[in-house]
Amino acid sequence: MARDINTKKLKKNAFRYSKVRGETASRIRIPGGVINAKSMARIAEVAEKYGNGTIFVTNRQGVELPGIALEDMDAVNSMIQSIIDDSGVNQEERDKGYPASGTRNVVACPGSRLCPFGCYDTTELARKMDKMIFPSHLHVKIAFTGCSNDCAKVRMDDFGFIGMTEPQYDPNRCVSCEQCIKYCSIRSVGALSLVNGKVVRDTAKCIGCGVCVAYCPTRAWTRSKEHYFRVVIMGRTGKKNPRLAEDFIKWADEESIFKMVRNAYAYVEEYIDPNALEGKEHIGYIVDRTGFDEFCKWVLKDVNLNEKAEVASRVYWGGRHYDRSNDLM
Amino acid sequence: MGNMSSNPYVPFPSKIREIIRHTEKEYTFRMSFTGDVKPGQFFEVSVPRYGEAPISVSGIGEDFVDLTIRKVGRVTNEVFEKGEGRTLLLRGPYGNGFDTSLYEDGEVIVIAGGTGVSPVRGVIDALAGTSAPKDKHVIVGFRSPSDMLFRDDLKRWDEALDLILTVDGAPEGYEGRIGLVTKYIPEVEIRDVANAKAVVVGPPPMMRFSVKDLLAKGFREENIWISQERKMCCGLGKCGHCRIGETYVCLDGPVFNYSESKNMLD
Amino acid sequence: MGYVLSRDSFTRVLKKIGQSRRIYAPVNKVGEGRFTDVDVVRYDFVTEAPEIELDKKSDYAFKEILTPLSQTLFFFTEDEVKEADMDEREVIIFLRSCDLHAVKRLDAIYLENKFVDPFYKRIRDKVRFALIGCGRSYEDCFCVSMGTNRADGGYLFSVDMIGGKYYFDVKDDELAAIFASEAESEQAVEARYVTENEVKVTIPGNVPVSVYKDPLWEEYTVRCINCGRCNFVCPTCTCFTMQDIFYTDNGRVGERRRVGASCMVDGYTNVAGGGQYRRTNGERMRFKVLHKIHDFRKRFGFDMCVGCGRCDMVCPEYISYANIINKVNDAVEGGAVNG
Repeated sequence: MARDINTKKLKKNAFRYSKVRGETASRIRIPGGVINAKSMARIAEVAEKYGNGTIFVTNRQGVELPGIALEDMDAVNSMIQSIIDDSGVNQEERDKGYPASGTRNVVACPGSRLCPFGCYDTTELARKMDKMIFPSHLHVKIAFTGCSNDCAKVRMDDFGFIGMTEPQYDPNRCVSCEQCIKYCSIRSVGALSLVNGKVVRDTAKCIGCGVCVAYCPTRAWTRSKEHYFRVVIMGRTGKKNPRLAEDFIKWADEESIFKMVRNAYAYVEEYIDPNALEGKEHIGYIVDRTGFDEFCKWVLKDVNLNEKAEVASRVYWGGRHYDRSNDLM
Repeated sequence: MGNMSSNPYVPFPSKIREIIRHTEKEYTFRMSFTGDVKPGQFFEVSVPRYGEAPISVSGIGEDFVDLTIRKVGRVTNEVFEKGEGRTLLLRGPYGNGFDTSLYEDGEVIVIAGGTGVSPVRGVIDALAGTSAPKDKHVIVGFRSPSDMLFRDDLKRWDEALDLILTVDGAPEGYEGRIGLVTKYIPEVEIRDVANAKAVVVGPPPMMRFSVKDLLAKGFREENIWISQERKMCCGLGKCGHCRIGETYVCLDGPVFNYSESKNMLD
Repeated sequence: MGYVLSRDSFTRVLKKIGQSRRIYAPVNKVGEGRFTDVDVVRYDFVTEAPEIELDKKSDYAFKEILTPLSQTLFFFTEDEVKEADMDEREVIIFLRSCDLHAVKRLDAIYLENKFVDPFYKRIRDKVRFALIGCGRSYEDCFCVSMGTNRADGGYLFSVDMIGGKYYFDVKDDELAAIFASEAESEQAVEARYVTENEVKVTIPGNVPVSVYKDPLWEEYTVRCINCGRCNFVCPTCTCFTMQDIFYTDNGRVGERRRVGASCMVDGYTNVAGGGQYRRTNGERMRFKVLHKIHDFRKRFGFDMCVGCGRCDMVCPEYISYANIINKVNDAVEGGAVNG
């Protein structure tokens, strides 16, 4: 039989175009990077049965199973159904695999399920975000990280959400041991100082990492009931202008960040270059084209940020512009 | 004047009657006080809003105590701002102090270094007033000639008893003795070392080496007394900072017989 | 007298008792632990039965009311020293047997040891106790080894929550009338207590000087991070530091307070001019441990440690104080064998 493959459909079905003629790789979506051991075993089974027996662990916390014959895509799709069920990823038709691949797997660090510094349950929010945005063919990268250490490297994404807690201070429980001051200075930004035997937090400087809370021996410092987020936007790698995401909002709340991402999809639908190659244009380049103000207008539409939230009036990105110059300094 | 409150944390005001300036950083404040007090005891001296500092009694009069204070921190900096006629707040006296009657008879050697002279100043004065002052030996050491405290007393003691005054180091041309106090311990002639008594007060290493040398010389442990310096926030056996093992320096000390203190490990 | 009450009727009893008294009990503070979404059980004032955490062991001890973490002693105006006021109402503290035994340790320091501490005494005089029975031994508890697993009186009433019902053994006649008025039934009640813990320690007798110098302490110089949590949660640690301040808005006015201190934390032994007596964490660990199981006993006749195990539970470095006790005992016994 003649080999007649629609590569556009193949890609959208989360298979990779391989340099090895006749082969593909199945891309398993794992929102937040957490998957049941049972599904992991299933992945191994697929790799053994249809792939070349290896598993590639991707940068975005998914896995790819290389060496699959193009003819086996349907069989693979039905075999990975239990994995899709398990990971709760939205699907359009059972046994047909993933309905899209444009919007990338939502990345998360281990977060507060495990990490002492995690300011919120990153896994849960990654899954919730994936539920909201997937499937979509728009090329959008979103990542969640528990604290300002940014182990999830969210500054490489279009939207990065960095966990924050607003430290609550009870001076009556403070014994001036100064450990919060010491560790804030060593591990964080040095936002604390001792005045009259009690600790004063420079609220402008504080990044809400919670180091003071973790090191306080008396519970004078505790975490705010509310979880907050620093929203960083439009980071990217790539050939033209790789750059880190820059701060857009600090002390944002959960409801608002979800609304903003939903709005961002509408914004992209509106402004994406209709002639973009394979219909794929990074949101960052769209913002470069429309300007930050237009982006803000769309993204903040109907968003009721909590009163603590601060929004940047301007955002400037750095990075290299290889499209302008490839010279070394 | 005494402590009018039943609350031992409540300080009483005491007037600065005179200030004797020894060095730039060490003054003796002569404070109004009547009441029982012994050399080696201490007061908590406070400047409200700045804090309290434990200060040894360096002199005792009928209606005063001398407090020799070294300017080294927040509280003492503030004390130095006060002039004669002004008031400081005091609590105390605390601690056991020296029992000077122990040193009336027989041969005695007092070894003191730096501000360690303060708590033994009264002891040395008592020795000078005994019937056989030539059997009383005193080695006093300071870091340098300009660090010397109690210059008038040193002159007096030099006449009254056997005084060896030394400095750790001195500018060229200095004619006095130079060297650590331990250098001069062998120079002191003790006839009956088994019954001779010693008092050693100063920085911890100085006390450690002096005691070692005295023991080597034949002094008995139970004939040696030392005074311990520790952090003391309350003077009342409550705050815990001065505790060493089962001992509270503020209550049981700061003066200890060496036979006891040798087992007090920090 | 023994009484059985429902939760609501217990609340009504608390309201009646609370008309003239404050009630201080372990409370589960949601999300106030070190880490995100981690609770902490510490003491606070309560008015209703469900607020009292009777199931978990409290992370922090009851002592904070008797020896507050931060307590203003005096106010200074320009020419006046004024003692800070206090709430004059009686307090009932809900605590477990180990903690009730700890009160005796606090009293030894603050009411004895040559001077009576008036700031402690004035609140101590107003404090009464309610015993929380222990239906089980908790992780890290070693009260049985310390002989503190059972309280012989010294409390107004005991409380045990079993199957959603509250069981009280009321020793106080005035309170008995209040409990009787709300009781579902009267029956013989005895506060529960544990007779065995998973963790066991052997307290050494006299600890010779050789053990002070034993290399066993060196391990803790590296492992311990001198955070002092073990001291702050301990029901028998009593150290404090005096602190004077002047108000930033009016420098002529200020206060003198005392704040909790830890012998593990930097600065504890620092004297003016820079002297410091225990620099390494191993030395500090030795100082702390031997106080609890030896030095205090030599001064007061009984051990300081009550075996509540909170220090083990709170240690971020998984250092087991209970295990250190046994190591010390081994060193003492080994030393005795080896002469």
